Amino acid sequence: MKKHTWLSGLGIAAAVALVATGCSSSGGSDSGSTELTFLTHWGPDQVTMLEEAASAFTEENPDITVKVQAVPFANLLSTLRTQGASADGPTIAGIYDAWLPELARDGLAAEAPADVAKDVEENWPEGVVSAASQDGKVYGIPNEIDLYQLNYNTALFEEAGIAEAPTNWDELVTAAEAITATAPDRQGIGFITSWNSGAVHPFLSLLASNGGSFLNAAGDAADLESPEALETAELYQQLVDAGLTDSSMSGANANTTGPYLDNFVNGKTGMIIMANWWEGSLKDAMGDDFANVATAPIPVGPSGDVSSSISYSWDTIVNGNASDEKQAAAWKFLSWLNGPDSGENGSSAMGDILISMGILPSRVSDVDAHAEALSSEFLSSYVTAMETATPFPTVLGASAAADALQRQIEALLNGQADAATAMKTATTDVDAALTAAR
Amino acid sequence: MNVTSTPTVGGSVRSLPRPRRRRTDRAHRGITAAIFLSPTLLVIGLFTVVPMIMTIVISFHRWSMFTPITDMDFVGFDNYARLLNDSARVQAIANTGVYVLLSVLITVPLAFLIAMLLYFPRLRGRNVVRVILFATYVIPTIAIVIIWSNIYAPGYGPLSAMVQAIGLTPPGWLSDPQWALLSLVIFNVWQMLGYYVILLVAGLTQIPEELYEAAKVDGAGIVRQTWSITLPMLSGSLVFVVLMTIINSIQVFDPIYLLTQGGPAGSTNVVSFEIQRSAFQYGQAGDASALAVSLFMLIVLVGVVLNAILKVRKR
Repeated sequence: MKKHTWLSGLGIAAAVALVATGCSSSGGSDSGSTELTFLTHWGPDQVTMLEEAASAFTEENPDITVKVQAVPFANLLSTLRTQGASADGPTIAGIYDAWLPELARDGLAAEAPADVAKDVEENWPEGVVSAASQDGKVYGIPNEIDLYQLNYNTALFEEAGIAEAPTNWDELVTAAEAITATAPDRQGIGFITSWNSGAVHPFLSLLASNGGSFLNAAGDAADLESPEALETAELYQQLVDAGLTDSSMSGANANTTGPYLDNFVNGKTGMIIMANWWEGSLKDAMGDDFANVATAPIPVGPSGDVSSSISYSWDTIVNGNASDEKQAAAWKFLSWLNGPDSGENGSSAMGDILISMGILPSRVSDVDAHAEALSSEFLSSYVTAMETATPFPTVLGASAAADALQRQIEALLNGQADAATAMKTATTDVDAALTAAR
Repeated sequence: MNVTSTPTVGGSVRSLPRPRRRRTDRAHRGITAAIFLSPTLLVIGLFTVVPMIMTIVISFHRWSMFTPITDMDFVGFDNYARLLNDSARVQAIANTGVYVLLSVLITVPLAFLIAMLLYFPRLRGRNVVRVILFATYVIPTIAIVIIWSNIYAPGYGPLSAMVQAIGLTPPGWLSDPQWALLSLVIFNVWQMLGYYVILLVAGLTQIPEELYEAAKVDGAGIVRQTWSITLPMLSGSLVFVVLMTIINSIQVFDPIYLLTQGGPAGSTNVVSFEIQRSAFQYGQAGDASALAVSLFMLIVLVGVVLNAILKVRKR
């Protein structure tokens, strides 16, 4: 009897503890406030700015509090996979737009309410809105947009006797030859390896500037055996065969920097094709020598008409598994955070945070509000490139497809495959990756 | 009533109760054992057996980790069939095989040699050397990787500088597909060597000193002693070291995740990294589970084969 009583007591205690735990994690506290969690990959400075913005929002909306959870970029998707499916997982998450198709399909990304969707459609460029949408429905509020341009070292150009940045592939090869000839340990142009976006996006930017594309119009198969894609691969092969690019000088480490960054900042690499958000890394690593870095549009290929950079954007999404109350609070916070009244001088608070990292905001009013900062010598070329940018495809399996292409680009850069073989293998592997994801 | 008949002196028969006490004792022992073992069994069941069974079940399904586990679609052996149809996975399996083979071929003889050098000559400071060797095994991989990423740095790294100093052109240790996997094997050997040396030194201490003394009396030199005494007597430890090297090498993940991300050109992509990528980057938990189950079966197979070899040798 005694034993039964003790067991019963233990059971009741456990039940009470479970109920209590359930209550505390439901997000709605006794005081009536709703606590949101914002998952991001930003660094400490930007997290502080986001926390300050969240505090300002809570002052206006005392019933909603926002807690920021920061993880490294490499762990962002895996954190979403392990925590996102829960109603108590992160309420808001900053995501790379290539992940959206899967998140929307699986219900993790909630469809934006009508008023939020209308706001997004009216205040963001069409290409960015399409990247934040699936089947015509808006799922996230876009924030940053990233593009690639040619960065070059003006001191090396001067030493090599080159006056202007290359505008086409012939000029690119000529410039690379001249720079490589200036010293034995220099490479004319560097192509990053061991980092998928870093390897794939410059290749696709050159491909887009040659009139080609990664996938077909339907987005369900590779388009890498087109004449334009073959020409792009042949450009890589030509640069490798002539010793104008050296893969041993262009590896990335886990921070996407490593020897690739080191060789550019130390004046051993003449040109790179890199994203705007590298500005901070270059400034930190180069100090005063950053004045030698100039930016130019992606050189146009023989089959292309216009320079076109691959672009990709980031969105903030709301957890579709969260309670209705939390979802409503999350959209309210995001509308405020990305709206024109939360930041300085007509910018959104989000726009201010992005500019602090040297990242281009995508909201039209944010671009206007930060016109001065965006007109800097380094960034202005990226801003102009937004007009002719080619969005990275946001389809199911895009990440695996990019990894498949990366392997062949790296095989090309290491002289393991010729252009035709690399593109043929890439086509097979990309098609397999897209099929497996559907 | 259960009785047994026992013949007694004088022909009289006396009924005795059956020896229930022994059976009761056995039953008691069983219950006691069950009670004492239950916490361990519960923990093993919850955290080892259940996840293993779940992994096997998931491997026959298509499941996105964003959805509840109840939303899986049964696909039979499709995930297993795809293992050999995907060039990245085939490359990962081949790379794993090469990595394991090189690790065993370099680590085991080297560990044996160092263990012999540390055990037989009565040198001062050999315990300090053992501690230093073992330290590489104890330090977390993440801390070691920071050092090794600089050692392998092209151009300014000490390894490249040493190669340049002797008039050779250093390779891209981690950026050249022909060198990257070997560079990771060297890292693995450096990290694990101390652990295996300690295991082999422990094995050497079990060999009776008298055997060597008798061999010396018979005129056996160091090579003959090693071949005829040390190696046969140490075979158990050596097989264990080989098994541990294989298991550790098959499961390699940290240095690849931290140093190369499977590149360049997939040259360092191994099965464990591919499992991570399939599950957490591509959301293909079924494919990842099929890979994990295959890897587990491979490890079991290696264990069985080595065990069989050991038994044959003992006979």
